[in-house]
Amino acid sequence: MNAFVKGNPDLCMGCRTCMVACVVSHTGRHIFELDPDDYTFNPKLHMVKTRAISVPVQCKHCENPACMAACPQKCIHMEDGTVFIDTENCIGCKACMEACPVGAIDMAPVSGVYQPDGKERYVANKCDLCREQSGGPACIRVCPTEALKLVSYEEIADTAQERRLAAAKANADGSLGAAAQAK
Amino acid sequence: MTMGVQEIEDAGLILNFGYNGADSHPIVQRRIIRARQKGAKIICVDPRVIESARIADIHLQLKGGTNLALVNALCNVIYTEGLMDEKFIREKTTDFDEFVEVIKKYTPEDVSPICRISPEDIRKAARLYATTKPAMILYGMGVCQFGQAVDVVKTLADMALMTGNFGKPATGIGPVRGQNNVQGACDMGALPNNYPGYQSITDDAVREKFEKAWGVPLSNKVGLPLTHVPRRVLRPEDPSKQIHAYYIFGEDPAQTDPDINEVREALEKCDLVILQDIFMNRAGQYADVVLPSTSWGEHEGVYSCCDRGFQRFHKMIEPPEGVKVDWQIISEISTAMGYPMHYNNTQEIWDEMRRLCPSFAGATYEKLEATGGVQWPCRSEDMSDKGTVYLHKGKFSNPDGKGRFYATDWRPPQELTDTEYPLILNTGREVGHYSARTMTGNCRLLRSLEDEPGWVQINPEDCLEYGLEHGDLVRLESRRGWCLSRVSCTDRTSPGAVFMTYQWWIGACNMLTNPNLDPVSNTPEYKYCSVRIECIEDQAWAENYVVTEYRRLRESMGIDVSGEEAAVQ
Amino acid sequence: MTKQVESICPYCGAGCHIMFSVDEAANKIVDAVPAKGRTNDGTLCLKGHYGWDFLNDPQILTKRLRHPMIRKGGKESPLEEVGWDEAIHFVAGRLTEIKNTYGPDAIMGTASARGPGNEAAYVMQKFMRACVGTNNIDHCARI
Repeated sequence: MNAFVKGNPDLCMGCRTCMVACVVSHTGRHIFELDPDDYTFNPKLHMVKTRAISVPVQCKHCENPACMAACPQKCIHMEDGTVFIDTENCIGCKACMEACPVGAIDMAPVSGVYQPDGKERYVANKCDLCREQSGGPACIRVCPTEALKLVSYEEIADTAQERRLAAAKANADGSLGAAAQAK
Repeated sequence: MTMGVQEIEDAGLILNFGYNGADSHPIVQRRIIRARQKGAKIICVDPRVIESARIADIHLQLKGGTNLALVNALCNVIYTEGLMDEKFIREKTTDFDEFVEVIKKYTPEDVSPICRISPEDIRKAARLYATTKPAMILYGMGVCQFGQAVDVVKTLADMALMTGNFGKPATGIGPVRGQNNVQGACDMGALPNNYPGYQSITDDAVREKFEKAWGVPLSNKVGLPLTHVPRRVLRPEDPSKQIHAYYIFGEDPAQTDPDINEVREALEKCDLVILQDIFMNRAGQYADVVLPSTSWGEHEGVYSCCDRGFQRFHKMIEPPEGVKVDWQIISEISTAMGYPMHYNNTQEIWDEMRRLCPSFAGATYEKLEATGGVQWPCRSEDMSDKGTVYLHKGKFSNPDGKGRFYATDWRPPQELTDTEYPLILNTGREVGHYSARTMTGNCRLLRSLEDEPGWVQINPEDCLEYGLEHGDLVRLESRRGWCLSRVSCTDRTSPGAVFMTYQWWIGACNMLTNPNLDPVSNTPEYKYCSVRIECIEDQAWAENYVVTEYRRLRESMGIDVSGEEAAVQ
Repeated sequence: MTKQVESICPYCGAGCHIMFSVDEAANKIVDAVPAKGRTNDGTLCLKGHYGWDFLNDPQILTKRLRHPMIRKGGKESPLEEVGWDEAIHFVAGRLTEIKNTYGPDAIMGTASARGPGNEAAYVMQKFMRACVGTNNIDHCARI
């Protein structure tokens, strides 16, 4: 099963260090040696702030991804627990963007690549769990408040098991309580 | 700060008053979040929904400019409900009765319409603060940047005094200092009334000590605060007190001081303006002399962080050819003026300073290196003196060793809203940028995250009324100037109140701010002035203006913009 | 050769410790990771992580100052590059002139609350007090 990065709004302070780390991770190691205008700033997670919430939102790496099904080019793949976009073959049709139920995909320019009409080439852009870097997702590593976590199926399954246990106990207590009252 | 940053997470309660750690000091905010995780109660007092407000048990979203009315009311509740630490008041404080005379007028019912907070919420917050131990107050520029600021600081200290929240771990009051070495500049006596180590220039014995050490007679006349400079250049009350020379060192008053138009006029009129800095900045464009110096990373020394922590910073790379270290430049000017100053390294300067400052005397370079840093007071060079985590243990620093109560009446900000300028402007920091932005604006990633013209936060109700949408460019005007900014439509700010960050050239909120000063601290009222919004019909024109104006400004700062595409006409 | 140097973040008052990797041959910082300081406990924000490449003068917002400059023909004239001796003597001469004409209190000096550090602040206030002869010394504390 696929893992995904989840943000905790109780710990997040909206600083966006994660978004910058994402750009650094996907630009390669030498972003500081490039010409300052020779990269594109395309974070693959986005800070959402409402009155009550601050939290970054990114791809859930669904088991049956709507984006993958919607892609006419078949350039969204699932491999090693990650859903990722083969941007080389992306035609920028935005079908995946429309299909994604959590708004995790946007369109981003590819630095220094232009279409025949002179416009920058845009492709679909989303979290790939930093699959090409060692050390796991960069956003998790830099977050100063540990607000981001890689959540695995096993963890969710464990939590579900605990909840089932708690629910079972509550049921039992409830019936015992009711029985006691009847006496 | 009377406490150490590391203590924040051990507080039972944090009163987070006019302090937005998430944008100003994320790594201090981290401790507030950890405190919350460990079960601390949080009371947040702020006119906006800031990050601390989101995680607070109680958020008092007061109307801007009403701080003292609220703090007086909080004290009123603690007093009338008998929630004080009577023993602490009796044994460790003075002037309580005079204090009570003032605060007893501020009932929650009377203050409620001023602050726009319900009497019940005021009572709840006061009770929670007074009954949760240990309680700590953290405050920031939301307290200090008002025409009435020092009074609020003193009354917050009253709250801590009346509940016995001083001189114990994880208590006290903490002004979390903004810039990396603002504490240090104060420690080193870069103040018009103090020598290094907070020793008064009007104290004869102290002055004699410095006269002897420096070998010259010294003036006992308190000097001029920086924020008085524009008026003392342009409109001195007494012509013999006019300022004729302004030596600006490592800052940009033409960007960060209030009412930039007035500052720039003063720089134009001042006979001699000297700028010593690492990058060209807005003030530099008015300078008669520019002295290029080494940057952080190219020299070494000691910084003081917000909680009195002396820490060594190191040289990492060689400076560019042609620049000099700040203290060398100043020493050479001094020598050329007939007062020879010569140091071989920063350690010689530091050791001279330590000999003159009893509370810093023990903080040797060796100790700072070995321990990673010490919090002053640190009086003995012996390695066993590891400094002071929190202040006022056992007694206060007043001559009688007691904490003094102080109270006074609330007064509103100077420039209130009216039909012509109906909106309150509040200003603050951008999390990814720093001060005049010459450093962070030259960092590619921070520049990419946020760039000109910056944002103006406007409540959705106001957006609806003005017909504004998120992302629109708008013109903001005050009685002093105008600027352009981009609309951020958010209910984190209240209707009738807008918020901007001060780092932008095109979106320069200090074109608008009011240079009304607190009479004691001389801090300007950055957090409150009245403005109006002018919608821009032709958004394409406005977008083009931002691009071309930004390019023009960067070019005037020495950037080669010739390769950049022309703006779309 | 890459060397490791621990230093303090130049931005806010939190005073975070950072471990920098420095390419000595290129005279550049190449990387920054959090160090275990008392206040930051091995964490950094975005400015600490990514706020150091201004040192490499990337020419984005403003240009690094590399030469002393003077307006030789008064306020309307352009800033011209000069040598250090000329700059120091110009400043010393003009300050002395103003001091002699209007008194020491006609001169205002500031120290920086930012990168220069405590030693530079100490020297600046000493210069204003002992050499110029005024307590007109302050800094950008209020922003």
